[in-house]
Amino acid sequence: MALYLQRAVNAYVRNNARLASHAATAGGHGGGWKLWKNLSFFVAVPAIGLGMVNAYLAHQEPHERPEFVAYDYLRIRTKRFPWGDGQKSLFHNPHLNALPSGYEDH
Amino acid sequence: MKIMHNHPYHLVDFSPWPLTGAIGVMTLVTGLVKWFHNFNMNLLILGYFIIIMTMYQWWRDICRESTFQGKHTILVSNGLRWGMILFIISEIFFFISFFWAFFHSSLSPNIEIGAMWPPLNIMPFNPFQIPLLNTIILISSGITVTWAHHSLMDNNFSQTTQSLLITIILGIYFTMLQAYEYMEASFTIADSIYGSTFFMATGFHGLHVIIGTLFLLTCFIRHLNYHFSNNHHFGFEAAAWYWHFVDVVWLFLYISIYWWGN
Repeated sequence: MALYLQRAVNAYVRNNARLASHAATAGGHGGGWKLWKNLSFFVAVPAIGLGMVNAYLAHQEPHERPEFVAYDYLRIRTKRFPWGDGQKSLFHNPHLNALPSGYEDH
Repeated sequence: MKIMHNHPYHLVDFSPWPLTGAIGVMTLVTGLVKWFHNFNMNLLILGYFIIIMTMYQWWRDICRESTFQGKHTILVSNGLRWGMILFIISEIFFFISFFWAFFHSSLSPNIEIGAMWPPLNIMPFNPFQIPLLNTIILISSGITVTWAHHSLMDNNFSQTTQSLLITIILGIYFTMLQAYEYMEASFTIADSIYGSTFFMATGFHGLHVIIGTLFLLTCFIRHLNYHFSNNHHFGFEAAAWYWHFVDVVWLFLYISIYWWGN
Protein backbone atom coordinates (compact mmCIF):
# COMPACT_ATOMS: atom_id res chain seq x y z
CA MET A 1 0.00 0.00 0.00
CA ALA A 2 2.71 2.42 1.04
CA LEU A 3 4.62 1.48 -2.09
CA TYR A 4 1.67 2.39 -4.34
CA LEU A 5 1.21 5.70 -2.53
CA GLN A 6 4.90 6.39 -2.92
CA ARG A 7 4.68 5.68 -6.66
CA ALA A 8 1.63 7.92 -7.03
CA VAL A 9 3.38 10.77 -5.25
CA ASN A 10 6.52 10.30 -7.36
CA ALA A 11 4.48 10.34 -10.55
CA TYR A 12 2.71 13.47 -9.36
CA VAL A 13 5.96 15.23 -8.51
CA ARG A 14 7.49 14.26 -11.88
CA ASN A 15 4.41 15.59 -13.64
CA ASN A 16 4.70 18.80 -11.64
CA ALA A 17 8.32 19.14 -12.67
CA ARG A 18 7.28 18.80 -16.30
CA LEU A 19 4.57 21.41 -15.87
CA ALA A 20 7.13 23.67 -14.21
CA SER A 21 9.55 23.45 -17.11
CA HIS A 22 6.61 24.12 -19.39
CA ALA A 23 5.67 27.21 -17.38
CA ALA A 24 9.21 28.47 -17.94
CA THR A 25 8.37 29.08 -21.57
CA ALA A 26 4.89 30.42 -20.87
CA GLY A 27 4.22 33.14 -23.37
CA GLY A 28 6.55 31.15 -25.61
CA HIS A 29 8.13 33.83 -27.74
CA GLY A 30 11.55 34.92 -26.52
CA GLY A 31 11.95 38.66 -26.90
CA GLY A 32 8.18 39.20 -26.68
CA TRP A 33 8.91 42.20 -24.48
CA LYS A 34 10.06 44.19 -27.54
CA LEU A 35 6.46 44.50 -28.79
CA TRP A 36 5.32 45.80 -25.40
CA LYS A 37 8.28 48.16 -25.12
CA ASN A 38 7.44 49.60 -28.53
CA LEU A 39 3.77 49.93 -27.56
CA SER A 40 4.85 51.73 -24.38
CA PHE A 41 7.07 54.25 -26.14
CA PHE A 42 5.23 54.73 -29.43
CA VAL A 43 1.58 54.44 -28.28
CA ALA A 44 1.39 55.03 -24.50
CA VAL A 45 3.86 57.93 -24.22
CA PRO A 46 2.34 60.01 -27.09
CA ALA A 47 -1.17 59.29 -25.75
CA ILE A 48 -0.19 60.50 -22.26
CA GLY A 49 1.45 63.57 -23.84
CA LEU A 50 -1.74 64.44 -25.75
CA GLY A 51 -3.83 63.87 -22.61
CA MET A 52 -1.56 66.21 -20.63
CA VAL A 53 -1.74 68.96 -23.27
CA ASN A 54 -5.53 68.59 -23.45
CA ALA A 55 -5.95 68.76 -19.66
CA TYR A 56 -3.49 71.67 -19.39
CA LEU A 57 -5.21 73.78 -22.08
CA ALA A 58 -8.65 73.10 -20.58
CA HIS A 59 -7.40 74.27 -17.18
CA GLN A 60 -6.45 77.69 -18.52
CA GLU A 61 -10.08 78.79 -18.32
CA PRO A 62 -11.04 80.33 -14.95
CA HIS A 63 -12.80 78.10 -12.41
CA GLU A 64 -16.48 78.63 -11.84
CA ARG A 65 -18.19 77.78 -8.60
CA PRO A 66 -21.86 77.09 -7.92
CA GLU A 67 -23.86 79.92 -6.41
CA PHE A 68 -24.45 79.39 -2.67
CA VAL A 69 -27.98 78.21 -1.90
CA ALA A 70 -28.60 76.60 1.52
CA TYR A 71 -30.32 73.49 0.18
CA ASP A 72 -30.98 70.81 2.81
CA TYR A 73 -29.14 68.13 0.87
CA LEU A 74 -25.90 70.13 0.53
CA ARG A 75 -23.25 70.78 3.25
CA ILE A 76 -24.73 68.03 5.45
CA ARG A 77 -23.37 68.21 9.02
CA THR A 78 -25.21 65.61 11.08
CA LYS A 79 -22.08 65.33 13.22
CA ARG A 80 -18.60 66.84 13.22
CA PHE A 81 -15.85 65.54 10.97
CA PRO A 82 -13.26 63.78 13.19
CA TRP A 83 -10.51 66.28 12.24
CA GLY A 84 -9.80 70.01 12.66
CA ASP A 85 -12.78 72.09 13.79
CA GLY A 86 -15.07 69.34 12.47
CA GLN A 87 -16.75 71.64 9.94
CA LYS A 88 -14.46 71.24 6.89
CA SER A 89 -14.28 68.15 4.69
CA LEU A 90 -10.93 66.36 4.30
CA PHE A 91 -10.01 68.06 0.99
CA HIS A 92 -11.48 71.43 1.94
CA ASN A 93 -10.91 74.21 -0.57
CA PRO A 94 -12.02 77.55 0.95
CA HIS A 95 -12.60 79.09 -2.48
CA LEU A 96 -14.74 76.28 -3.90
CA ASN A 97 -16.34 74.50 -0.91
CA ALA A 98 -18.90 76.55 1.00
CA LEU A 99 -19.55 75.94 4.71
CA PRO A 100 -23.20 75.57 5.85
CA SER A 101 -23.23 79.38 6.38
CA GLY A 102 -21.81 80.21 2.92
CA TYR A 103 -18.47 80.76 1.20
CA GLU A 104 -15.68 81.88 3.55
CA ASP A 105 -14.48 84.71 1.25
CA HIS A 106 -17.90 86.39 1.16
CA MET B 1 15.32 19.62 9.95
CA LYS B 2 14.60 17.42 6.98
CA ILE B 3 15.12 19.30 3.73
CA MET B 4 13.88 16.76 1.17
CA HIS B 5 10.24 15.69 1.26
CA ASN B 6 8.39 13.00 -0.65
CA HIS B 7 5.37 15.27 -1.10
CA PRO B 8 4.85 18.70 -2.67
CA TYR B 9 2.93 20.32 0.20
CA HIS B 10 4.19 23.21 2.30
CA LEU B 11 3.83 22.31 5.99
CA VAL B 12 4.21 25.73 7.57
CA ASP B 13 6.18 26.45 10.75
CA PHE B 14 4.57 27.94 13.85
CA SER B 15 4.10 31.65 13.33
CA PRO B 16 2.96 34.49 15.61
CA TRP B 17 1.58 36.62 12.75
CA PRO B 18 -2.00 35.28 12.61
CA LEU B 19 -2.33 36.16 16.30
CA THR B 20 -0.72 39.62 16.06
CA GLY B 21 -2.81 40.20 12.91
CA ALA B 22 -6.04 39.37 14.75
CA ILE B 23 -5.09 41.64 17.66
CA GLY B 24 -4.10 44.33 15.15
CA VAL B 25 -7.37 44.38 13.19
CA MET B 26 -9.43 44.39 16.38
CA THR B 27 -7.38 47.34 17.67
CA LEU B 28 -7.59 49.09 14.29
CA VAL B 29 -11.37 48.82 13.96
CA THR B 30 -11.99 49.78 17.61
CA GLY B 31 -9.63 52.74 17.17
CA LEU B 32 -11.42 53.77 13.97
CA VAL B 33 -14.84 53.71 15.66
CA LYS B 34 -13.41 55.66 18.61
CA TRP B 35 -11.97 58.27 16.22
CA PHE B 36 -15.24 58.55 14.28
CA HIS B 37 -16.95 59.34 17.57
CA ASN B 38 -14.60 62.32 17.98
CA PHE B 39 -12.27 60.80 20.56
CA ASN B 40 -8.50 60.89 19.98
CA MET B 41 -6.51 58.83 17.44
CA ASN B 42 -4.26 56.94 19.92
CA LEU B 43 -5.90 53.52 19.58
CA LEU B 44 -6.15 53.94 15.78
CA ILE B 45 -2.42 54.71 15.51
CA LEU B 46 -1.60 51.70 17.72
CA GLY B 47 -3.80 49.51 15.48
CA TYR B 48 -2.04 50.78 12.34
CA PHE B 49 1.34 50.12 13.96
CA ILE B 50 0.47 46.51 14.90
CA ILE B 51 -1.02 45.81 11.45
CA ILE B 52 1.90 47.31 9.51
CA MET B 53 4.45 45.40 11.62
CA THR B 54 2.47 42.18 11.14
CA MET B 55 2.14 42.65 7.37
CA TYR B 56 5.83 43.46 6.97
CA GLN B 57 7.06 40.47 8.96
CA TRP B 58 4.50 37.97 7.66
CA TRP B 59 5.25 38.80 4.03
CA ARG B 60 8.99 38.87 4.79
CA ASP B 61 8.63 35.29 6.07
CA ILE B 62 6.71 34.26 2.93
CA CYS B 63 9.44 35.77 0.71
CA ARG B 64 12.03 33.74 2.65
CA GLU B 65 10.00 30.53 2.38
CA SER B 66 9.49 31.04 -1.34
CA THR B 67 12.79 32.48 -2.52
CA PHE B 68 15.35 30.96 -0.17
CA GLN B 69 13.73 27.79 1.21
CA GLY B 70 12.07 26.60 -1.98
CA LYS B 71 8.78 25.88 -0.20
CA HIS B 72 6.64 27.13 -3.08
CA THR B 73 6.29 24.09 -5.29
CA ILE B 74 3.96 24.17 -8.29
CA LEU B 75 1.18 22.80 -6.09
CA VAL B 76 1.71 25.49 -3.44
CA SER B 77 1.97 28.12 -6.14
CA ASN B 78 -1.36 26.97 -7.61
CA GLY B 79 -2.88 27.41 -4.16
CA LEU B 80 -1.54 30.97 -4.07
CA ARG B 81 -2.99 31.58 -7.54
CA TRP B 82 -6.44 30.45 -6.41
CA GLY B 83 -6.10 32.57 -3.30
CA MET B 84 -5.36 35.67 -5.38
CA ILE B 85 -8.17 34.91 -7.84
CA LEU B 86 -10.73 34.54 -5.03
CA PHE B 87 -9.39 37.68 -3.32
CA ILE B 88 -9.80 39.73 -6.50
CA ILE B 89 -13.34 38.33 -6.98
CA SER B 90 -14.20 39.47 -3.45
CA GLU B 91 -12.76 42.89 -4.31
CA ILE B 92 -14.96 43.03 -7.43
CA PHE B 93 -18.03 42.51 -5.24
CA PHE B 94 -16.78 45.18 -2.84
CA PHE B 95 -16.83 47.69 -5.72
CA ILE B 96 -20.15 46.35 -7.06
CA SER B 97 -21.76 47.57 -3.82
CA PHE B 98 -20.57 51.14 -4.50
CA PHE B 99 -21.78 50.98 -8.11
CA TRP B 100 -25.10 49.66 -6.79
CA ALA B 101 -25.43 52.67 -4.47
CA PHE B 102 -24.51 55.00 -7.34
CA PHE B 103 -26.99 53.56 -9.87
CA HIS B 104 -29.72 53.23 -7.23
CA SER B 105 -29.42 56.96 -6.52
CA SER B 106 -28.76 58.25 -10.03
CA LEU B 107 -31.22 56.24 -12.16
CA SER B 108 -34.28 57.60 -10.31
CA PRO B 109 -33.13 60.70 -8.42
CA ASN B 110 -35.24 61.64 -5.41
CA ILE B 111 -37.43 64.73 -5.35
CA GLU B 112 -35.30 66.03 -2.42
CA ILE B 113 -32.29 66.51 -4.73
CA GLY B 114 -34.29 68.16 -7.49
CA ALA B 115 -35.33 64.88 -9.22
CA MET B 116 -32.25 65.28 -11.40
CA TRP B 117 -28.73 63.84 -11.71
CA PRO B 118 -26.33 65.40 -10.93
CA PRO B 119 -28.43 67.01 -8.16
CA LEU B 120 -29.33 70.72 -8.41
CA ASN B 121 -26.31 72.98 -7.67
CA ILE B 122 -23.73 70.17 -7.98
CA MET B 123 -21.01 70.95 -10.54
CA PRO B 124 -19.32 67.66 -11.53
CA PHE B 125 -15.89 67.31 -13.18
CA ASN B 126 -15.50 67.58 -16.93
CA PRO B 127 -14.72 63.93 -17.83
CA PHE B 128 -12.64 64.93 -20.87
CA GLN B 129 -9.96 66.77 -18.90
CA ILE B 130 -7.95 65.23 -16.01
CA PRO B 131 -10.18 62.13 -15.72
CA LEU B 132 -9.44 61.33 -19.38
CA LEU B 133 -5.70 61.79 -18.73
CA ASN B 134 -6.04 59.45 -15.74
CA THR B 135 -7.71 56.85 -17.98
CA ILE B 136 -4.83 57.07 -20.47
CA ILE B 137 -2.27 56.79 -17.66
CA LEU B 138 -3.84 53.65 -16.19
CA ILE B 139 -4.22 51.92 -19.58
CA SER B 140 -0.59 52.84 -20.38
CA SER B 141 0.56 51.39 -17.06
CA GLY B 142 -1.21 48.16 -18.05
CA ILE B 143 0.97 48.10 -21.18
CA THR B 144 4.21 48.79 -19.26
CA VAL B 145 3.45 46.09 -16.66
CA THR B 146 3.01 43.58 -19.51
CA TRP B 147 6.35 44.75 -20.89
CA ALA B 148 7.81 44.00 -17.43
CA HIS B 149 6.25 40.52 -17.37
CA HIS B 150 7.61 39.56 -20.81
CA SER B 151 11.04 40.92 -19.86
CA LEU B 152 10.98 38.83 -16.68
CA MET B 153 10.00 35.68 -18.61
CA ASP B 154 12.83 36.41 -21.05
CA ASN B 155 15.44 36.71 -18.25
CA ASN B 156 16.04 40.34 -19.19
CA PHE B 157 16.97 42.01 -15.90
CA SER B 158 17.48 45.61 -17.09
CA GLN B 159 14.28 45.69 -19.19
CA THR B 160 12.30 44.38 -16.20
CA THR B 161 13.83 47.07 -13.95
CA GLN B 162 13.09 49.83 -16.46
CA SER B 163 9.50 48.82 -17.25
CA LEU B 164 8.56 48.13 -13.63
CA LEU B 165 9.92 51.53 -12.60
CA ILE B 166 7.90 53.27 -15.34
CA THR B 167 4.75 51.42 -14.19
CA ILE B 168 5.30 52.58 -10.59
CA ILE B 169 5.89 56.18 -11.72
CA LEU B 170 2.63 56.09 -13.73
CA GLY B 171 0.81 54.82 -10.61
CA ILE B 172 2.22 57.69 -8.53
CA TYR B 173 1.32 60.19 -11.28
CA PHE B 174 -2.30 58.94 -11.25
CA THR B 175 -2.48 59.35 -7.47
CA MET B 176 -1.08 62.90 -7.68
CA LEU B 177 -3.64 63.89 -10.32
CA GLN B 178 -6.49 62.42 -8.26
CA ALA B 179 -5.28 64.34 -5.18
CA TYR B 180 -5.27 67.55 -7.27
CA GLU B 181 -8.80 66.81 -8.54
CA TYR B 182 -10.03 66.22 -4.97
CA MET B 183 -8.60 69.57 -3.85
CA GLU B 184 -10.15 71.37 -6.84
CA ALA B 185 -13.58 69.70 -6.47
CA SER B 186 -16.47 72.13 -6.07
CA PHE B 187 -18.45 69.49 -4.12
CA THR B 188 -17.48 67.48 -1.01
CA ILE B 189 -18.40 64.09 0.44
CA ALA B 190 -21.05 65.94 2.51
CA ASP B 191 -22.76 67.42 -0.58
CA SER B 192 -25.79 65.20 -1.27
CA ILE B 193 -25.83 61.56 -2.37
CA TYR B 194 -23.77 62.66 -5.39
CA GLY B 195 -20.80 63.64 -3.24
CA SER B 196 -21.20 60.59 -1.01
CA THR B 197 -21.27 58.02 -3.83
CA PHE B 198 -18.59 59.88 -5.82
CA PHE B 199 -16.02 60.07 -3.04
CA MET B 200 -16.89 56.61 -1.66
CA ALA B 201 -16.29 54.93 -5.05
CA THR B 202 -13.36 57.01 -6.34
CA GLY B 203 -11.81 57.21 -2.85
CA PHE B 204 -11.73 53.44 -2.39
CA HIS B 205 -10.42 53.11 -5.94
CA GLY B 206 -7.67 55.61 -5.14
CA LEU B 207 -6.79 53.60 -2.02
CA HIS B 208 -6.52 50.49 -4.20
CA VAL B 209 -4.24 52.32 -6.66
CA ILE B 210 -1.96 53.24 -3.74
CA ILE B 211 -1.97 49.60 -2.50
CA GLY B 212 -1.30 48.34 -6.05
CA THR B 213 1.59 50.80 -6.41
CA LEU B 214 3.08 49.56 -3.12
CA PHE B 215 2.63 45.96 -4.31
CA LEU B 216 4.52 46.77 -7.55
CA LEU B 217 7.15 48.68 -5.55
CA THR B 218 7.65 45.58 -3.38
CA CYS B 219 8.12 43.54 -6.57
CA PHE B 220 10.60 46.15 -7.81
CA ILE B 221 12.70 45.89 -4.64
CA ARG B 222 12.51 42.07 -4.73
CA HIS B 223 13.55 42.16 -8.39
CA LEU B 224 16.59 44.32 -7.55
CA ASN B 225 17.48 41.67 -4.94
CA TYR B 226 17.22 38.89 -7.57
CA HIS B 227 14.20 37.21 -5.96
CA PHE B 228 12.52 36.44 -9.29
CA SER B 229 13.46 33.92 -11.97
CA ASN B 230 11.91 33.45 -15.40
CA ASN B 231 9.65 30.63 -14.11
CA HIS B 232 9.22 31.52 -10.44
CA HIS B 233 7.74 34.98 -9.95
CA PHE B 234 4.16 34.60 -8.73
CA GLY B 235 4.53 37.62 -6.44
CA PHE B 236 5.01 39.72 -9.54
CA GLU B 237 2.11 38.06 -11.38
CA ALA B 238 -0.21 38.67 -8.43
CA ALA B 239 0.81 42.35 -8.43
CA ALA B 240 0.14 42.54 -12.18
CA TRP B 241 -3.29 40.88 -11.78
CA TYR B 242 -4.14 43.30 -9.00
CA TRP B 243 -2.96 46.25 -11.13
CA HIS B 244 -5.15 45.15 -14.06
CA PHE B 245 -8.10 44.79 -11.66
CA VAL B 246 -7.58 48.36 -10.41
CA ASP B 247 -7.33 49.50 -14.04
CA VAL B 248 -10.64 47.83 -15.02
CA VAL B 249 -12.44 49.27 -11.96
CA TRP B 250 -11.27 52.72 -13.08
CA LEU B 251 -12.69 52.16 -16.58
CA PHE B 252 -16.09 51.36 -15.04
CA LEU B 253 -15.83 54.39 -12.72
CA TYR B 254 -14.86 56.62 -15.63
CA ILE B 255 -17.63 55.44 -17.93
CA SER B 256 -20.47 55.40 -15.38
CA ILE B 257 -19.68 58.02 -12.72
CA TYR B 258 -17.49 60.58 -14.55
CA TRP B 259 -19.01 60.33 -18.02
CA TRP B 260 -22.59 58.98 -17.93
CA GLY B 261 -23.30 60.44 -14.46
CA ASN B 262 -22.17 63.88 -15.57
